[in-house]
Amino acid sequence: MNAGLGTMVGIVWRTRRRGIAVWVVALAASMVGTAASIAGLYDTPAKIHSYAEAVTSGSALAAINGHVEGIDSLGGVIQDEFGFLASFLLPLLGIGLVAGSTRREEESGRLETILGGRIARHQPVLAALAVATAAIVATSAMFAAGLDVVGVPVSRAILYSASLGGIAFLFAAYAALMAQLVLHARGVYTWSLIMLTVAYVVRGIGDTTKSWLTWLSPLGWAEKAAPFGDQRWWALAVPIVVGAALGGAAVWLAARRDIGSVLWRRAAGSARSTSLHRQPIGFAIWIHRPAMIGWLAGGVLLTAMMGSLAQQLLDAMAGNPALAEAMGIQDGRPLDGFVAVTQLYLAVLAGGYVVQALGTLRTEEAEGRLEARLAGTLSRTRWLAAHAGVVLAGLVLIVVASSSVLALSTAWSVGSNDDAGVVMTAGLDYLPAELVFAGLALALFGLWPRGFGLTWAAYAVVTFIAFLGPGLKLARSVLDLAPTTHVGNPPLGTVDPGSLTALAGVAIALLLVGFIAFNRRDVPRA
Amino acid sequence: MSEVVHIRELTKTFGKVRALDGLSLSVRAGEVHGFLGPNGAGKSTTIRILLGLIRAGGGTAELFGADPWREAARLHGRLAYVAGDVALWPGLTGGQCLDVMGATHGRVDEKRREQLIERFELDPGKRIRDYSKGNRQKVALVAALAADVDLLVLDEPTSGLDPLMEQAFQQCVRERRTDGVTVLLSSHILGEVEALADRVSIVRHGRTVTTGSLADLRRHTRTSVHVVTAREPEGLARADGVAECVSERLDGQVDTRFTIDADQLDATIGRLHAAQIHTLTVTPPSLDALFLRNYGEMPDAPDSRESLAGAPQ
Repeated sequence: MNAGLGTMVGIVWRTRRRGIAVWVVALAASMVGTAASIAGLYDTPAKIHSYAEAVTSGSALAAINGHVEGIDSLGGVIQDEFGFLASFLLPLLGIGLVAGSTRREEESGRLETILGGRIARHQPVLAALAVATAAIVATSAMFAAGLDVVGVPVSRAILYSASLGGIAFLFAAYAALMAQLVLHARGVYTWSLIMLTVAYVVRGIGDTTKSWLTWLSPLGWAEKAAPFGDQRWWALAVPIVVGAALGGAAVWLAARRDIGSVLWRRAAGSARSTSLHRQPIGFAIWIHRPAMIGWLAGGVLLTAMMGSLAQQLLDAMAGNPALAEAMGIQDGRPLDGFVAVTQLYLAVLAGGYVVQALGTLRTEEAEGRLEARLAGTLSRTRWLAAHAGVVLAGLVLIVVASSSVLALSTAWSVGSNDDAGVVMTAGLDYLPAELVFAGLALALFGLWPRGFGLTWAAYAVVTFIAFLGPGLKLARSVLDLAPTTHVGNPPLGTVDPGSLTALAGVAIALLLVGFIAFNRRDVPRA
Repeated sequence: MSEVVHIRELTKTFGKVRALDGLSLSVRAGEVHGFLGPNGAGKSTTIRILLGLIRAGGGTAELFGADPWREAARLHGRLAYVAGDVALWPGLTGGQCLDVMGATHGRVDEKRREQLIERFELDPGKRIRDYSKGNRQKVALVAALAADVDLLVLDEPTSGLDPLMEQAFQQCVRERRTDGVTVLLSSHILGEVEALADRVSIVRHGRTVTTGSLADLRRHTRTSVHVVTAREPEGLARADGVAECVSERLDGQVDTRFTIDADQLDATIGRLHAAQIHTLTVTPPSLDALFLRNYGEMPDAPDSRESLAGAPQ
């Protein structure tokens, strides 16, 4: 039995080690790097104190970054700055590690091959959890060591890293349980992200109302460990115990259920397709709809949350100018600064949608379905144009819908709709930058489809620069790497139409390269 | 007779691997052409070039007299294709997949579509992800067979089908040929090609080893004989056209196996008759024998047929 588990751990590690290593090293390195930059910026107690004063004035920031106990310290500043990103990146680490080696393997039929050997039915999920846990521990250890180097007291560094690791572990276990219940790896991601969103919202409400609600959210448990306040080590036990229970349930189910079975199965469908499906564009809509709906929901949620907090944030900034600076809003009208920050977040989100949606084209090819499509009377150009057109229409939909929600919720919060036009224009100004992502994705799909992952790497770099670049006062040349930088931070900054034209030009050139290269290459190309 | 597919000296390399090394293939209008070779011989690569999915490295490939790479979409209006590795959209039902694929074909015969669904016992309301491998294969076959086209390109179309469905498939292909449709049938299952094909091309290592009608090919191969006689047949081993003669005594009788040129058969049976025949099995050259001969092995006794034809199932 245990020999089987050892073998299974070896298989998971052997098949996924590269991805795991990239995740762990990239995440730990960027967290340590960011912590070092923060330590460089807040190098005197006075600076730390004014930062702490700023972000604790009003509860709006607590909704976004969480309520940080002991914020008047270097570690506290780091925890606050990480609040938003860590809430998503660490759960995603756990979810990604588990979803990829459980339901995805079952869906592909590879699990069946493995279970034909001397592996018990419950061992694959146990092995996936074991490898994920090891990766999480490694990430936490590297982060703790980094924090120690940066100057955070060692016991606090360990507690903070461990509390973040606890979140990742909890979501890994939750994903393992979902993997037993839904049919597709995609479903595991969807249900895990819904859980994560709920956890984030509940934590936000709990922190702004200073109520017990925070205790209901897994993200709140990490906060309640208070690594830079009272250091409640026992709070670490909560995610570990709950995670172990969820993981145990997953293992228990895996041992008892039929392979390939699910809790929720869709009923039989129609025996004929609609005329929409038979058109290339209609079919492309059907393929991209799930990604479009998911990212649209994310955009609407983000803008609704930010917009409804607008007045609180403005009050806080009015009471404490240092807060505006902490948010990257130095001069100009505070409301413009607030809209600019939100629109930048939305642009990053829209870019993620573009990369993921165009990534499905590569999946269609790798799974052999593109071949079936192109064996008919559909030409390559028409196929690619239909997909690119649908993805870009989805992009416009996401930007316009989310910007509208931002305009409405901001108007509701501040009690005036004078800024609705400004909000919408700022959203549209980012379209050329988002198109550059589409261009890069299509160019790689045409020229070097196997290297499509580079698009995600570029996206990660741009996300990092957009979120943390201005706050960390990165060099101009680094900031300029991100297409979003060239938009000019509307409505706070002024938009140069020339820059937008240049971005659009780059995007169109890349799109053309993608179309031409795709027309000339072999399909499928390994 | 016009040529539907015309391939000469085709080459293609993937990195350092030479997948096609001067392959030639000619498919005439109205025939079922068997495209035979072991796994990795270059059959699927040839078909992909013929569909304009990948570009020829060298040589010429013509489909309906035109360049398949340049005019892929137009030419595809006249053909339907079943891939060797059938890939469909797991979220669609079988019927929806048929419609989506049908929309990319030139025209679909709705009546035939219904008949085929019935003949292949397909449930069109089930989702692809709930189908077995054989049922997915059937969806692809029905989509191709229901299309009103001039050419069917079938890449190992019966992998995963049970024997009953294989029979149904063969019947359907014969009907389509009666309708005047040309069929390019790639396979490594000899029995299937033998049952359907008018002409055959055998490929190996990216080259065409031999091509011709089954009758042509048979003429160049030898008939196998297995005979049990009361006495040793006289002078058999030295007789004209006889080779590989092996004789042994079993239970007081003589068990002999040999191969013979078809035109010497009559004279030789006379000799056997003189030795008093108990049992006699004469096996005309099968594709297996052709296949084995072209793969550098000697045509063997008839039981090689079982081992070879049985292996892929």
